[in-house]
Amino acid sequence: MSRISISLTVNGETKEVQTEPREHLADLLRGTLLLTGTHIGCEHGVCGACTIEIDGVPARSCITYAGACDGATVRTIEGFDDDDVMAALREAFAREHALQCGYCTPGMLVAARDVVLRLPDADEARVREEMAGNLCRCTGYRGIVRAVLSVLAERKKGA
Amino acid sequence: MTSSESGLGVGASLRRKEDARFLNGQGRYVGDITRPGMLEVAFLRSPVAHARLRSVTKPAGAESKVFTIDDFPGVGTIRANSALPGFRISEQPVLAKDKLRHVGETIAACVADSRAAAEDLAALCELDYETLPAVFDMRTATLPETALVHDHWSMNAFLETRRDDDVSGLDAIAAAKVTRTLKTSRQSMAPLEGRGVLAEWDSRLEQMIVTTSTQMPHVTKSGLADCLGLDEGQVRIISPDVGGGFGYKGILLPEEVVCASLARRLGRPVRWIEDRFEQLSASANCREHHYILTAWADKDGKLLGAECEAIVDAGAYSSYPFGACLEAAQIGSILPGPYVLPLLRCHTVSACTNKPPILPYRGVARTGVCYAMETTLDALARKLGITAEAIRLVNLVPPEAMPHRNLVGKVFDSGDYPESLRRAVKAIDIPAVRKRQAAGETVGVGFATFCEQGAHGTSVYHAWGIPFVPGYEQSHVRLSPDGVLEVRVGVHSHGQGMETTLSQVANEVLGIHPSKVRVVHGDTALTPYSTGTWGSRAGVMAGGAVAEACRQLSVRIAAIGAALLQVSKDDVVVEDGKVRRKDTDSSVSIADVARTWYRAPQNLPRDVDKGGLEITAGYRPDPDTGTHSYAAHAVIARVDTDTGEVVLEDYVIVEDGGKLLNPMIVDGQVLGGLAQGIGTALYEEMPYDEMGQPLAGTLADYLLPGSSDVPDARLEHMETLSPWTTFGQKGIGESGAIGPPGAIINAINDALASIGAEVMDLPATPERVLAAIHLAKSGKQ
Repeated sequence: MSRISISLTVNGETKEVQTEPREHLADLLRGTLLLTGTHIGCEHGVCGACTIEIDGVPARSCITYAGACDGATVRTIEGFDDDDVMAALREAFAREHALQCGYCTPGMLVAARDVVLRLPDADEARVREEMAGNLCRCTGYRGIVRAVLSVLAERKKGA
Repeated sequence: MTSSESGLGVGASLRRKEDARFLNGQGRYVGDITRPGMLEVAFLRSPVAHARLRSVTKPAGAESKVFTIDDFPGVGTIRANSALPGFRISEQPVLAKDKLRHVGETIAACVADSRAAAEDLAALCELDYETLPAVFDMRTATLPETALVHDHWSMNAFLETRRDDDVSGLDAIAAAKVTRTLKTSRQSMAPLEGRGVLAEWDSRLEQMIVTTSTQMPHVTKSGLADCLGLDEGQVRIISPDVGGGFGYKGILLPEEVVCASLARRLGRPVRWIEDRFEQLSASANCREHHYILTAWADKDGKLLGAECEAIVDAGAYSSYPFGACLEAAQIGSILPGPYVLPLLRCHTVSACTNKPPILPYRGVARTGVCYAMETTLDALARKLGITAEAIRLVNLVPPEAMPHRNLVGKVFDSGDYPESLRRAVKAIDIPAVRKRQAAGETVGVGFATFCEQGAHGTSVYHAWGIPFVPGYEQSHVRLSPDGVLEVRVGVHSHGQGMETTLSQVANEVLGIHPSKVRVVHGDTALTPYSTGTWGSRAGVMAGGAVAEACRQLSVRIAAIGAALLQVSKDDVVVEDGKVRRKDTDSSVSIADVARTWYRAPQNLPRDVDKGGLEITAGYRPDPDTGTHSYAAHAVIARVDTDTGEVVLEDYVIVEDGGKLLNPMIVDGQVLGGLAQGIGTALYEEMPYDEMGQPLAGTLADYLLPGSSDVPDARLEHMETLSPWTTFGQKGIGESGAIGPPGAIINAINDALASIGAEVMDLPATPERVLAAIHLAKSGKQ
C-alpha cells in the first residue's frame, strides 16, 4: 500500500505524518498520534463520536481521509484546555449528568461547543435538533440538552 | 453529624468521580490500548445464514497469517446449558466447523500489523460451501418440514415450557375477552463502543491476560479458562473503561477465545476491535418475541385469567453464560406483571434459528412481556368501555398485600403500585388530550405499569441451572497508610457511576470523604470474584457488600482509635472520618489509625485484630428473591395520519426504586433506559430477508433515537424502602427500558381509536402506523 506524507497542525503543533490513501483521519489521530480521546462509533459519519474540529469547523473524522487534510488545522478533545466555552461545557456536563459511559462525550462536547458559539439564542427544540447528529446510548439526552442550554444561558447573562 | 447530613453519603446527588477523565478525552477503552509487537485481527465471517462449510482456502503466501478451527485442535466449544428439563444443548465452535449457522459467524482469524491489512487477508480467503435453507422465521422454525439448525436435534427449539392452569371456564363467566397477536422486532443493543479484545500471554506468569470490554470479567475468566484448558489462575481479565453494556457485553465471546489462542500460539499480543458492521450484521441479538395473548376480565376490568402462546427467536446457539432460554422461559413467570392474576396458561418456545444467538438486553424479557400485557389490557378496557387507568387500578397489587407472593411464586418486597399510577395520571394532562380528540386531532394518551425484579440471587437462579448461580457478593476494603480507602469490587461500572455511588456507601459507613475512596473494579487480579454487572444487581449487591466490609473495618478502626485515645472501644464512635470519644470531642482521624497500623505499630494495643486494616466481606439479601422496583409510565403521542409519523409530546415516569443511593445517577439510568425503550417502540429494527440476511448494516439503516426523538421526560420518585436490603435500595437500572413500548403503543392506539385502528407490531414505524390505519379504513368499507 502506497504511503503519502502530509503536514497537519494538531492541537497547536505542526506535524509531518505518513498515511495510507485509505486511512481516515480518526485512525491517524488515534493510531499514529495517540490522541485516543477521539472515538470511533460507526465509521459512516452517523453517530458523531469522532467529531473533531478541522479548520475551525466540526467534522466527522471517520469519513474524512487523512490524505485530504494536508495543511489542515485540527483540534481534538485533547486540544481545548485553554478554551472558556469548553471549560463551561465540561462543568455543565458534570453538573447535569450529561455523560455515563463517556464514549460519545468527546464528540458531543465538540459539537456542543459549536452550537453554543454559532447559535447564542437557541432554545431547547433547536438544541435538540442541532445535537441530533451525535448519538448517545446512555443518557437519554436530557442532561446533554440541559448542559448546553445552561451554558447558553450563562453566556447570555455574562454578555 | 451523620454522613447523610454531610451530603456526601447515601442519598446525595454527588457529582461523578469518573467524569473528569471522560470529559477530557482521557478514558481508556480497549481500542485505546496498544502493546509493542501487537497484531490486529480481522475475522472472516459467514456471508450466509445456513450452509455446509466444505473448505476455507487461505491466501497463497499468507497461510501462516490465517487461522481456522483446524489450527486450534485443543480449543473447546462454547456451551451454556440449562438444567431445565428438555433443554437441547448447542455447541458453538469459536471458529465455524463443518456448518455455518448465522450471517457473521466467525470462520477464520486473519492477523496483520494493521486492521486494514488483516481485512485484506480476509478478503483473499476463498470459501466453499453448500447453501442450506435458512431458518429465518421463529413462527415456522419448529415445523417438521423446516431445515434443522443443529442436525442432530429433533426440532429447532432449545426449550419449551408450559404452565397449565385450567382457563376453560372463563369464557362462560367473563364480561370481556380479547386476544392479541403481537410481535417485537430483533434489535441490536448498539452500545456506542463495540466489543474489543486484547490478548497477551505472559510467559513469566504463564498467564493469559485478556483486556476486554465486558460487564462480567470474572465470569469471562471462568468461561475462557474452560475453553482454553487453562486453570483459572492462568487467566486474568481486565475490563477497562467500557463504552456501554446493556447486556451486549455479558457474554463469553468466540472472539475472546480465538484472540487468546492466537496470542499464545504466536507469542505476540493480538487485538480485535469490533466495527459497527460486525456488530449489526453478526450480533443483532435481542428482543425478538411473538405473542398470542388472550385475557379475560369481569365487568369492572378485574382480570380472571390469561392464556399466552409465546415464541422467542433465540438464534443459533446458547451463549455463555445466560443461555438461549433466559427470555422465553421467564415469560410465564413475569407475565402477571404487577397485577393480581388468578389463572395463567402459558406455553413458550425458545426457537432456534439461523440468526445471531440471543443475549438478554436491558429489561430482558420484561420489555416484550410488558408490551404484550399492557396493550392487551388496553384492548380489554376499550371493549369494556372503561379507562386505561381504571383497568390497571383494579388489578394492581395493593400496598396492604405487601410483601406479596403472586400466583407464579414471585415475591414483591414493598411498594404502593396503585399510587404510582395515580401520580402519573395526575401529572399528565388527560383532559387536554380528550379535548383535542373531540376536536378531531389524532392524539392519544397511553400508560404502562410494571415491576422489575432486580438483584435476585441464589434461590431464583439455581432452579434455572445456568452455568453460574449468583451467591454472596463480596467486597474487599483496605485502608492504605495515608488513610485512603481502597474499595475493590468484582462488579463492573460502565456508565452506572459506581465509582461514585460505592464511594458514597463507604462514606455513609465510615465518614471518609468520597474523594479519599478509590473504587477498584474491572480486573480479576485485583477484585473478589463476582458474577458481574447484570440483572439490576450492582447497587443492591455491591452496595450491600461494600457497606458490610466497611462496617467490619470500622470495628477494627474503632479498636485502634480507642487505644490511641486511651479509652475503651465501647466509648468511641467512628464517624465523619474520625474515631471520636463519645463523651468529649477528642478524636483521632482514620488516617492516624492507618498510620499507626502501618508505620507505628508500637502504638497498637496488644489485643489488636491481626487482620489489620483490610477485610473481605460478603453480602446477600435475605430473602434473596429479589427487589421489585416498579413504575408507571404515561405518554402523550400525536400521530400524523398522512405520514404515519409519531411525535411524543409529553412523557411522565413515576418510579419507585426504594432508597436512591445517588438520585442524580438513578435519574440518568431511568432516562437512558427510556431512550432505549423509545428506540424499541418506534425506531429500532433489524429486518431479515428469507435467506436470513440482516438488512441494516449501518447506523443510517438501523435507527437509534437521537436528541430530537426523545422528549424532555419528567420523573417523579417514590422511595418505599425494600425491607430486605442494606439501605432499602432496589435494583432499578433496567426499569426505564421496560415500560416505553407498552405506554407508547397504547398512546398511539388511543389516538387511532376513533379510526378503529390498532398497531400490533414493534417498532411502530410510519409504515406500520399507516398500514394499521389503512387496514381499519378498508375494513370499514
